[in-house]
Amino acid sequence: MDPLFYVFDTLVFVGIFALLTVSLNLEYGFTGLGNFGKVAFFMAGAYTYALLANQQLPFYLCLTGGAAVAGITGILVTFPALRLREDYLAIVTLSFGEILRIIIKAEEGIAGGVRGIWVPSAFAPLGSMRSLAVANVLLVLCCLAAAFLLAQLLAHSPYGRILRGIREDDVAVQALGKNTVLYKLGVLTAGSAIAGVAGGLFAQYMSFIDPYMFLPLVTFFVWIMLILGGPGNNWGALVGALLVELLNRGTRILKDYLTLPVDPNNLQFILFGLLIILILLYRPQGLLPEGPVKTAARRMFQNAPSA
Amino acid sequence: MFDTGQIFFNAAVTGSLYLLAGTGLTLTYGLSRFPNFAYAEFITFGGYIGYLFLQRADGSLPVALITAFFASGILSVVSYRFCFRPLIDRKAALIPLMIASIALGYVIRYAIGEVWSWSALSYQPVWSAFELGGIRVTALWLYLVGAALLTGTSLHFLLTHTKTGKAIRAIASNPELALVSGINSDRVILFTWFTGAALAGVAGVFRAADTQLFPMLGWDILLIVFAAVILGGIGSFYGLIAAAFILGLVENFGVVLLQAVGLSTEYRMAIAFLVLILVLIVRPKGLAR
Repeated sequence: MDPLFYVFDTLVFVGIFALLTVSLNLEYGFTGLGNFGKVAFFMAGAYTYALLANQQLPFYLCLTGGAAVAGITGILVTFPALRLREDYLAIVTLSFGEILRIIIKAEEGIAGGVRGIWVPSAFAPLGSMRSLAVANVLLVLCCLAAAFLLAQLLAHSPYGRILRGIREDDVAVQALGKNTVLYKLGVLTAGSAIAGVAGGLFAQYMSFIDPYMFLPLVTFFVWIMLILGGPGNNWGALVGALLVELLNRGTRILKDYLTLPVDPNNLQFILFGLLIILILLYRPQGLLPEGPVKTAARRMFQNAPSA
Repeated sequence: MFDTGQIFFNAAVTGSLYLLAGTGLTLTYGLSRFPNFAYAEFITFGGYIGYLFLQRADGSLPVALITAFFASGILSVVSYRFCFRPLIDRKAALIPLMIASIALGYVIRYAIGEVWSWSALSYQPVWSAFELGGIRVTALWLYLVGAALLTGTSLHFLLTHTKTGKAIRAIASNPELALVSGINSDRVILFTWFTGAALAGVAGVFRAADTQLFPMLGWDILLIVFAAVILGGIGSFYGLIAAAFILGLVENFGVVLLQAVGLSTEYRMAIAFLVLILVLIVRPKGLAR
């Protein structure tokens, strides 16, 4: 393959996974919510995009639709578990990831079932392969930039401080008169909507999706990225997504040059699993630890000449 | 329209499987206070250990069951000692513990895939069906129900009449108080991790004998088992007994109903999910409390 296309392809995938990681960082990194069904919202966005795009809608409307459907799904699925301890949310989201795939697989009428569904390219009129690839990269990176800015703004706003408060001590935040369930719901909606956008971008780029692209493995990858990069740090989310995707591609290339006594695919997942456990044991803050919140007061304090 | 007796018997079989698979999950969830997703792999591992004995047609089921019992138990103790215990000592929070359990699950699952390959295997002995009082049964199903009954009674005895059992309940309800009362909680927790996973390994053999053996075997039933654990009330063995059989009933009636309305029977999982959501809305503490 043309090396330039390979670079573009890598960039698109890093961007899509970085979107997912940034969204998980909002939920887990800042608010302490364990969403173990990221793939479900990714899938909701992808399939909504595919269905809308097949109705000849322009791509920005399809992406918005994907975000909306994923966000609403996020509300519906997580609400029953939000009043309870965080492990319930984990189990509910994990189960939902499986259920949604089963439904899409079983209901051929919705989107082709196991046979999958074709997605028209948003940039088909551009013609040449090269301009198509550039357009794809630009679209993904623009979405990532927007989501990243939103996440940064949220993280350093009073809203973000309440989210961190919920993560550290739910009851204390309630005692301050904040409705923590509403805050959690807000974050999960935003996180799911961002995952929906990532799903839409994925469907658009792949031009074909089927249920087997949305295995729980996707969720696991996003968690590896966030844990490695540093939960609670949006830059960490980007770094994690970049590193894990590069590692992933690196091993795929190495496979062609190395002959190992074990199946490299199996080995890769065993190593990823061990990596996560080792990070949790020896560097739970990840590569880029969470920094202080940038507030106006802090900035003044920093700029003041030290006495 | 449908054979009620058969459905009730099938529900007892399915429920027995969930009971065996879920006992360790609910007990360790209650003691160590986090859901261990690697339980899926403890189940699968038991199934593959059983395959060592049942790959020949004259293989012995009891030997397979007993070996799987010890193998899965030891795997669980090793994973507690080298993965979860160090995390707990470092004061890891709930979600990192869950992620570690998922990661460990991947390590074990792909190791199984490496050793035994990813294609489905089947046990060679065949348990043919026969009629018993108008109900189609197989010897395997009867063994499974028997194993569940044995587990139920012996765990009841263990929890109520032995020091270890009382210690398990004490640690589950108040770990600090249990410690100051001189309970060696380390040993009790290890014992529970061993026994619970050992039963899950037994469940794995039964599941593999009844269907097929593949690395996703445990994962495929894990979420239903979780639904049973939550319905029963986390940490409650008695709640789990009721919940496992309720889920067995719901699932078996559900499949008949699904076929009647022409929906795919793949929705079995969706039924468990529906039960889970309903429990969370109506009675999140579960049946037991």
